[in-house]
Amino acid sequence: MIDLFDLNIFLYSGIILAILGSIATVAGPGVKDPIVRTLNTEVAAIGVSLILLTYNHTLALLTFVATTVVITLILLRAITRLEEMEAYP
Amino acid sequence: MLVPEFVPAIFASWYIPVIYAGILVAFIGLIGIAIEKRDIHILILTDIVGLAMLIVVAAVGTDLAEALILPGLVVELAEIMAISEILISREMRKSDKSTSLFPLPLVLDMEIMKTAPNFLALVLLAFGAFLTGFTGGAVAGAGILLYIISRKSRGLPIAVIEGIGGISGIAWCIWIIGFVLLFIAPELWLLSLFMAACGLVLKVSSKLGLIGTMMREEFKRE
Repeated sequence: MIDLFDLNIFLYSGIILAILGSIATVAGPGVKDPIVRTLNTEVAAIGVSLILLTYNHTLALLTFVATTVVITLILLRAITRLEEMEAYP
Repeated sequence: MLVPEFVPAIFASWYIPVIYAGILVAFIGLIGIAIEKRDIHILILTDIVGLAMLIVVAAVGTDLAEALILPGLVVELAEIMAISEILISREMRKSDKSTSLFPLPLVLDMEIMKTAPNFLALVLLAFGAFLTGFTGGAVAGAGILLYIISRKSRGLPIAVIEGIGGISGIAWCIWIIGFVLLFIAPELWLLSLFMAACGLVLKVSSKLGLIGTMMREEFKRE
C-alpha cells in the first residue's frame, strides 16, 4: 500500500518529469517545429512546479506559474513573427 | 555537512538528489544548445537551463531559496523578452520585411476598454499603495498598464518618459538606503522597512508603467 502523503513521491515524480521534459525538449518527437519544442518545455515546467510544491515555496511557485505563462506567450509571439517573415522555412 | 537546525530533516536528505537532478537537466539543456543551429530554438532551450537553475536554488529548502528564486525568475523573463525582440529586429533588418505587432487574433475594441479603465486603474493603484512592497508594485503597475493601454489619446511627450525613468531611479535609491540602514542601524528598523517597501512599490509600478508607455509608442509608430 502506497502512502499518498509520503512527500518523496511528489519530489521524485517532479524530478522525473523535469528530466523527461528536458530530454523531450532537446530530442523529443517533432522538435523540428519550434512550437512543438515550446510546448514540450511545459512538461519540464510542471516537474519544477512539483519540486517547488514539495519544498513549500508558495510565493516562488505562484511567481513561477505566472512567468511561465508570460514566457510561453513571448516565445509563441516571436515564433509567429519570425515565420511571418519566412526567416525559417 | 553543516545544516542549520531549522531545516527539516527530510529537506536535508533531499539535497543531494535534487542537486544532481538540477545538474542533469542543465547538462541536457546545454547539450541541446550546443547541437542546435537556429537561433529561435536556442532561445527556447535557454528556458530549460533556467529551469535547472530553479531546481538547484530550490534545493536549499529554506526561505533563502524563495528569496533567491523570485529575482531569478524576473531576470529570466526580462532576458527572454529582450533576446526575442533582438532576434525579431535582426531578421526584419536582414529581410527588409515588417510584420504585424500582435500576430494573434486579439481584438481590443471592447466597450469595457472605453468605460471602465479610469475606475479600475484607480482601484488597482489604491490597493497597490496599500499593499506596498513587490506585490503592491505589481498590482499598481497593472493598474497603470491597463490605463495606458486602453486610453485612446496616444503619443506621450519624451519628458514624461524620462520623468518616469527618473522616479524609478530615485525609488531605487530609497530602497537601497532603507536596506543599508537595516544593517548599520537596526534600531531604526521600522523606518528602514517603510523606506524599502515604499521604494520598491514606486520602482516596480514605474517599471510596469514604462513598459506600457513603450508599447503605446510602438502602437503609435504602426
